[in-house]
This record gives sequence, structure tokens and C-alpha cells, in this order.
Amino acid sequence: MSTQTAAPPATDLAVQVQGLSFAYAERQALDGLALQVPSGAVFGLLGPNGSGKSTLLSLLAGLQEPSAGDLRVLGQPPSAALRARIGILFQETSLDPLMTPRETLWLHGRLYSLGGHALRDRIDRLLEGVGLSERADSLVSTLSGGMKRRLELARVLLPAPQLILLDEPTTGLDPDAEAALWAHLRQANRDGATIILATNKVHEADEHCNLVAFIHHGRLAAQGAPAELKAALKRDAVWVEWPEFPPARADEIAAWEGVGKLTWAHPTLHATVDAASAFVPRLFQTAGDGIRAVRIRESTLGDAYFDIVGASLSDQEDER
Amino acid sequence: MSALIACGALLQRDVRAVLRSRSQLYSSILFPLILLAILGAGVSEGLDPDPALVRDGDYASFLVPGIIAMAVLFSSTFSSASYYQDRDSGLLRVLFASPHSPRVILMGKGLAGVTIGSLQALAVLAVAAAIPAIDLEWQYGFVPSLLLAVAAVLLLALLLNGFAQVVASRIRTMQGFHLVMNLVLFPLLFFSGAFFPLEDLPTWLKVLATANPLSYAVDLLRTAVYADGSGYFGLPLDVAVLATLAAAAFLWGIGRRPAYQQ
Repeated sequence: MSTQTAAPPATDLAVQVQGLSFAYAERQALDGLALQVPSGAVFGLLGPNGSGKSTLLSLLAGLQEPSAGDLRVLGQPPSAALRARIGILFQETSLDPLMTPRETLWLHGRLYSLGGHALRDRIDRLLEGVGLSERADSLVSTLSGGMKRRLELARVLLPAPQLILLDEPTTGLDPDAEAALWAHLRQANRDGATIILATNKVHEADEHCNLVAFIHHGRLAAQGAPAELKAALKRDAVWVEWPEFPPARADEIAAWEGVGKLTWAHPTLHATVDAASAFVPRLFQTAGDGIRAVRIRESTLGDAYFDIVGASLSDQEDER
Repeated sequence: MSALIACGALLQRDVRAVLRSRSQLYSSILFPLILLAILGAGVSEGLDPDPALVRDGDYASFLVPGIIAMAVLFSSTFSSASYYQDRDSGLLRVLFASPHSPRVILMGKGLAGVTIGSLQALAVLAVAAAIPAIDLEWQYGFVPSLLLAVAAVLLLALLLNGFAQVVASRIRTMQGFHLVMNLVLFPLLFFSGAFFPLEDLPTWLKVLATANPLSYAVDLLRTAVYADGSGYFGLPLDVAVLATLAAAAFLWGIGRRPAYQQ
């Protein structure tokens, strides 16, 4: 079930990016990227590993300098001081295993110049909010993976950031822990925080984001509400492994009744169709033994990504 | 102000980590004392030190300033190794993503290292001073001499923590870090006058000792708690060289964000 809300009007922008480029020594991570994130949005950056999502978050937080382009975050160029208004949840666990959750939050609060009773009260409230009150004084090393993630979320929320940057926040979490994490994030969004989520999980972007940008090779391939991006898709998505597919036949197959956009990227033929039960047998009749495998499921943002970009989000397409 | 708060929080956190790690705490204090006992009470029997250079031939008391310098060296190396632990746990990434420049974060960690190293070294001094067989000479009066010793320890800790941070910024692994630190610092310690009088050395080693920053720290410590004169280099030169190098090394260290952390 989708939990997304309508995208806010784009009159007030949390992030403005124009012509943004960044290169590591061995590869170009961002290549003239342009996008806008309205304040109050839950904005998804959807792209495969290495597409430049994490680099973009790093630039937004001012942790690295772009090689070219304009970048404004909460109306300002990124800086260390601006990070007082930004919370970042990194992809990998970033906790000292020999500190307790209370000490972890205390240190973070002090880094944000919080202190006294106000800090202690906020730590208590956050620990209770993420269900860690009883483990507040246990060492982090004794917490489960889900508890650690909730602690990190509490740390992000501690200074009440206006912008929250999430880098694949639910990697490695079980469904319950993932749901709990998003319940807190939705509350933070309702409280006014803009959320930017970098992910290659289709269901996560589809369920939680009211705006999504497709990132491919460091560029913006498309941007819109999930429903808009999926508007051109038919009900069923069919992924066919057909290494010897003759591209000349694409127009013929696309003309079949009930077939939407057909995309070929070796060795995969991708189509969204009204009814896979009619399309697939007909395809086998046409292809003979050239087809190695077929995968069918309800169309998702991942299909929209493949249609627009011509590449899969990952080798192991998110199946949920 | 917010930078000071951040440095204070990092210092408090690192001190708490050391207090929680009892083995590190005890070993960093016990090891220099064990060395003092072995060298001072045991090995010195066969050395027959020259009473003109080692007061009353009391080698154990002569060793105390050098042992304190060694304690600072050990604890500074250990403190800087926490940098790798924070990197590996991911905490360093969070610290660098806080609303402070990397320089503030590194200064906080550096000051934590200085504080921990200094307290451990002064604990060694306190224990050594309490041993009846150790005969220290507080030539400027107890309190002024003690303050001079504290200053020497602080300056040496600043110097070594700054240097350790420079090394940590370039060396990717903790094993490599310890190797380089030992490779550089142990030879420096051995011809710093920590274990034998510089006056006794051949000329070429005296030249090396003069170029060795640790020599000035050991000489200053010896002037503060052991000698009844102005030391090998003299108090003003000791303070000037040590303060200059300590400031330079510490500032250099906190300006060196590791390349592999960016």
C-alpha cells in the first residue's frame, strides 16, 4: 500500500541543482546533473549502484566540493555551518560500538551545540520514540541491526533538521524494522522536514516518495511523481532474456494488441503489457527456443526506469 | 564557542573510552613503571654510571624523566590509533558531517589525545615520586618544578599527537601506522637522553641528539624533576624549541584530513 502524500507545490525549494559535475580519480560520478527538490517533499533519487546518488548527497551536505555547477541547499551554498540544519543517515552503520545509545546521542547533541536539560529531555524522548529506552545505557555493540538503525535515525532527528539525507537507509533491515524506520521518517516529514532518499529499491521509492528522480550515469533521466512516471506503463511487466533478439522485430511486437512500450537492452527485452498471460505465449511462438528466461510481475517504477533509461536498476532487480 | 563545545565533547568522549578500556589504561601506566624497575633497579647494577653525570650513580632516579617521555610517546600513539577505530566504526564520517570543519574535529580528537597522554604520563610521575628508592630533585621548589614538568609533558604530548595525526592522515591501516610510529619514534627516544646522559655520547650521536625534538623534552623534564642545574641544552632553549615544534606539529596535524576519508 502506498503511503506517499501529494508532492508539495514547488514554490519553495529545499534544493536547487544546476549543471552539477563531480569526478573521482577513476570515473565521472555526476555529469551536469540538474534537479529541484521542493521543501516538504519526500524526494527519491532512484538509480543503480554507482549512478551518482551518494555523491550527490555528499555534495548537498558540503562534504565534498563539486567540480562544476551550481548548488543551493535550503537557500544557501553548502557549508559546514549549514549542516546544522541537515541530518544525514549514511548507508553503512556509523556508530561507536563501545558507546551507549545515550552517550551517542549526547555526543551528537553537543556537536550541534545542544546541552543541559533540553538535550537530556530530547534524548530521552527520542530514545523512547525509537523504542530504545530500555537499552539506553547498553553498549551499542550489544544492539541488533534494527536497533542500531533506529539509534542512527534518532541521532539524525536529534537537532530537528530541516533537510534529511538518507543513503539507502533500509539496506539490511527486515520488513518490520524497515516499516518502523519509515514511520519515524514520515512523522519527521509531517513535522516539516524535507527528505531526500537515495535508493535502488523500487518499492521504497514507490511507497514513500511523492517525487522521484531517475539518475543514470550521473545525469537526470526523468523526474516526477511516481504515478506520473508510471503513467505510460501497462499493468504487467515482462522481462525476457532473449540474447539473440532481432531488434528489427521490435516494431512488430510493439504493435501487438495490449503491448505498451518495448525496450531492448542486450540481453533483455522489456515490455509492459495489459495481460502477460496473452503476451508471453505469443512471444514464445515467435521466438522459438531463443528465449532463455521470462519474469513477470506487476509494473513498478523499476519498469518505468528501464523504459526511460534503457537499463536495469540493478542486476538483482528488487522483487518486492 | 560551538567549536569549543564540540572539542570538549570529543575530549570527554575519548577520555571516557580510555577509562572504559581498563587494559589500555593500566598497561599504559604500568609498562613504563615496569621498565623503570627493570632498568633502574636491575640493569643499572652492571652499568656503574658516572656519578658526575648520574647523580650519586642513582640510575633509577635518572631514568624517571625519560620514562615519563616514553609514557607520553606510548599514550599518544595509542590515542591516535583511536582515529582508526573511529574510522572503521564509521563514527568519524558522522563527526566530519557535523556542522564543524574537519579542523575542529581533528583538534577535538587531538586535544583528547594530549589530555589522555599527559594524565597517564603524570600518573607515572606520581607513582615514581612515591617510590622511596627514587630520589627526585625539585630544584625550583616542588610546585614550580611540578608545573614545569606538566608544561613539558603537555608540550611533548602536543608534539607527538600532532605528528601521529600527520602519520595517520597518510597511512591507511592501523598496523602500518604503528609500524611507522615505532620506526620513527623509538630511535628518537633512544638517542634523546632518556636512557643515558647525552654528555656520554660520541660526537656524531650528540649532533643527532641536538636535532632530535625528544631530546629537548627529556632535557626539560630532567631539569624539572631530576637535575640540579640547567640541563644539557638549558631551560630557555628547551622551552623555545619544544613549544615551537609542539605548536607547529599540532597545527600541522589538525590541518591534515586523511585523503582516504574524503
